[in-house]
Amino acid sequence: MPLASLRTISYILGLFLIALAASMLVPMLTVIIDRHPEHLSAFTHSAAITVFAAVLLLRFGHRQRGVLRPRDMYLLTSLSWITVCVFAALPMVIIQEISYTDAFFETMSGITTTGSTILVGLDNAPSGLLIWRSILHWLGGIGFIGMAVAILPMLRIGGMRLFQTESSDWGDKVLPRSHMVAKYILLLYSLLTLLGFLAFWWAGMQPFDAINHAMASISTGGFSTSDSSLANWQQPAVHWVAVWLMILGSLPFTLLVAASRGNVGALWRDQQVRGFLSFLLITWVLLGTWLSAHSEHAWWDALRIVAVNVTSVVTTTGFALGDYTTWGGLAVLVFFYLTFVGGCSGSTAGGLKVFRFQVAYVLLKANLRLMIHPRAVLSQQYNHHTLDEDIIRSLVTFSFFFTITIGIIALGLALFGLDWVTALTGAATAVCNVGPGLGPIIGPAGNFSSLPDGAKWLLTVGMLLGRLEILTLFVPLTRAFWRH
Amino acid sequence: MSLSTLRIIGFILGVFLITLAIAMLIPMAGLLVLNQPQDLNAFLWASLITAVTGCFLVGQGRPKNATLRPRDMYLLTSASWIVVCTFGALPMMFIEHMSYTDAFFETMSGITTTGSTVLSGLDNLSPGLLLWRSLLQWLGGIGFIGMAVAILPLLRVGGMRLFQTESSDWGDKVMPRSHMAAKYIVLVYFTFTFSCIAAYLAAGMGWFDAINHALTTVSTGGYSTSDNSMGKFSDNAHWVAIPFMLLASLPFTLYVAAFRGSWRPLWRDQQVRGFLLILLAIWFVFTLWQWHSGDHQFLDALRLVMFNSTSIITGTGYAVGDYSLWGSFAFMIFFYIAFIGGCSGSTTGGLKIFRFQVALTLLRGNLKQMVHPRAVLIQKYNGHVLDEDIVRSILAFSFFFTITIGLLALALSLLGLDPITALTGAATAVCNVGPGLGDTIGPAGNFGSLPDLAKWLLSLGMLLGRLEIVTLLVLLTGTFWRH
Repeated sequence: MPLASLRTISYILGLFLIALAASMLVPMLTVIIDRHPEHLSAFTHSAAITVFAAVLLLRFGHRQRGVLRPRDMYLLTSLSWITVCVFAALPMVIIQEISYTDAFFETMSGITTTGSTILVGLDNAPSGLLIWRSILHWLGGIGFIGMAVAILPMLRIGGMRLFQTESSDWGDKVLPRSHMVAKYILLLYSLLTLLGFLAFWWAGMQPFDAINHAMASISTGGFSTSDSSLANWQQPAVHWVAVWLMILGSLPFTLLVAASRGNVGALWRDQQVRGFLSFLLITWVLLGTWLSAHSEHAWWDALRIVAVNVTSVVTTTGFALGDYTTWGGLAVLVFFYLTFVGGCSGSTAGGLKVFRFQVAYVLLKANLRLMIHPRAVLSQQYNHHTLDEDIIRSLVTFSFFFTITIGIIALGLALFGLDWVTALTGAATAVCNVGPGLGPIIGPAGNFSSLPDGAKWLLTVGMLLGRLEILTLFVPLTRAFWRH
Repeated sequence: MSLSTLRIIGFILGVFLITLAIAMLIPMAGLLVLNQPQDLNAFLWASLITAVTGCFLVGQGRPKNATLRPRDMYLLTSASWIVVCTFGALPMMFIEHMSYTDAFFETMSGITTTGSTVLSGLDNLSPGLLLWRSLLQWLGGIGFIGMAVAILPLLRVGGMRLFQTESSDWGDKVMPRSHMAAKYIVLVYFTFTFSCIAAYLAAGMGWFDAINHALTTVSTGGYSTSDNSMGKFSDNAHWVAIPFMLLASLPFTLYVAAFRGSWRPLWRDQQVRGFLLILLAIWFVFTLWQWHSGDHQFLDALRLVMFNSTSIITGTGYAVGDYSLWGSFAFMIFFYIAFIGGCSGSTTGGLKIFRFQVALTLLRGNLKQMVHPRAVLIQKYNGHVLDEDIVRSILAFSFFFTITIGLLALALSLLGLDPITALTGAATAVCNVGPGLGDTIGPAGNFGSLPDLAKWLLSLGMLLGRLEIVTLLVLLTGTFWRH
């Protein structure tokens, strides 16, 4: 790792921190409007510390174009999430007087758009804190889209090369010619958030709740302003607005941009989008029918409740509408499976992502055929990309690492004394960036505050790993990375 | 699927059935020796029905100028397990007057060497029946080794092509030149069985128990003659079981070389080393943990841990005590290791060690490739190059494996089972282990109380697991039956 690369990385990190400090202005403004000036100092102090650190990084850093090689991006992405999280946790420590562990957990859960929370009494929490949590989601969401669109396809991560476009060039040049795309994505993201805010407001939320939920929905985050999450609002319209926003947040943003510029076909013809939407619809109908048969809900009510919860878990948002773990054994198992699905690649959603399942399906079908005609030459395609060996290998690697990571974290949690349902679903929900687990402690009706500190740190690592598609964080840990 | 192919398959199935009918003579002999002739009729009738069906199939004759193509082997292997299971269930139905569902489940669990049982009150059961259960496992064990050594490497099943040797030829000829190897493997299997009987006798078991447990140990089956499983017998018996379960989960082809005096292939084999290493690590960590947290002397902790973890990892399914009460850490470990399984080419089920090792090789290569995108890496396992074909088939296998367990668990929970029972039941069936976790099907429970449909689903799961899933799945594709 040459010094020049490190200095460039430091420079970029400094810029990120400045941006973070600037975004702390929003909660300051909120606090002033809300007439709670006693919370102002928390944010001013945090912003001051963050700016100070940023200046140090900028001083050490150096801006030099073209110094970063693709492999340096692994370090850059990993470090930027961690650094941002370290400083973004400050306001929580000051305002709520919680331990740094708790604040770090909550912040990581925020910027990875997971949505697991350790805070109780959200309904009466300071407005500055609530808006800060939502902003973390919102920033984390757009950050992840940027990463997934611009950086990951260049690296060999989990078959993401399938999403290389003309704007993400595979070569020694790192900065893609994607300024235009990036600008449009940011614009669209902000626009959708605004629309979401208006829709929530129209549906009956207070403006403050509407802003928070709009940010937490579009980023598929899941922090709410109430302990009972979406169940705090009885209006069905609120629930459907949330469903729509969550779905929009988990579609590929590059395609959304194309669609908003008139090319709706691009979105509609995309195999991943189709697979995702039909999967959601089928699950809604099946589970909704099952629920209406096994409870007193009318079919429409059941469908709405199922739609909110299923969409929330599949898109890895993590809102809850009632406690779905009380629906019976089948529901528990179904929601456990749904945790892993995730949205589309290039969105704010986590999980394994729909395209990996679809690619696997293509491979499985071809494999069965090859078993019968061993010498047949089949060209296997997904979304018009040929599935070459490279993509398959990285897909295998990703799936294995994903499984192993969840397995090991679950084992670690069990060592801390958690029961095995909490351990297993906690690990899964963290790595998939969903939010709630299953079981009485961390289920949709519970929260993470009672876990031991060690478990919280472990889950934090899990969330970060999940967000960075695991391998990004592992590569800097190999020796080959640091040689020459 | 041409008619002459079907006739050959019918002929071979007939031979298997006649063998099965002959095997039924053994429990009859057992009954005569133990002087309990009242159950003799059941076996006589079952044997007769099986033999008549077998003779009918064989009587159709074998077409002279037709050969089996590799793809026909999928049908042959799947059909033979199902047919044998169908008839192997007859004696149970006749003796215990249980439903055919229960008998089929028990038989499938036997010949797939799973070891899940629907029977309770084993201690007072007819000795003929007990012997028959053990015998089913023993036959299933040697049948699976044969399949894994001679047939699967030829087919594109889950990366098994890694185990193609000179004796298993990849081409249009199906019957490998492996008669010699087969003979030695059977010899090794017999040797293990007899030494195991002797060892159990030395450890203080009675003749009948020793024979039964030897049959189910070397096949990594797990049927016992007592409801307490091995808990009924002395500590010494547990110590005997551990090495024999281990021996049974190493690749039998390597024993052939060892038998001829060359121990090096066995010792140098990456899979064997990996397996032993994993076991040692689990024993070590787990024993320390159990000793530290518990009420046991060191030696007791060691014995309990070694016995139970070996039993689960090798897919045997014996239990000493109820390990699901050891706490959530132990619970997770036992849930995980059920998936591992032993080495390929042995009697064990599960994912098998080599798949984990291949995955590890790929992971390492992938990480290196991420740093040096243009490096050309040749990845090898046990001296075989990991080509694209193998990678794909391992990927396909792992996905099918996961999906099968997932769907099975979903279906079980639709039938009203609680999530733990559903998930661990599906896993234990597909991995051919035996006991699940939880109150109902845990090491202290049994499968008797499950609804009938759940039993059929689990039978299907056991069969899928034993046939490495894709072998059976390929029959369900449209392409298979065309031309």
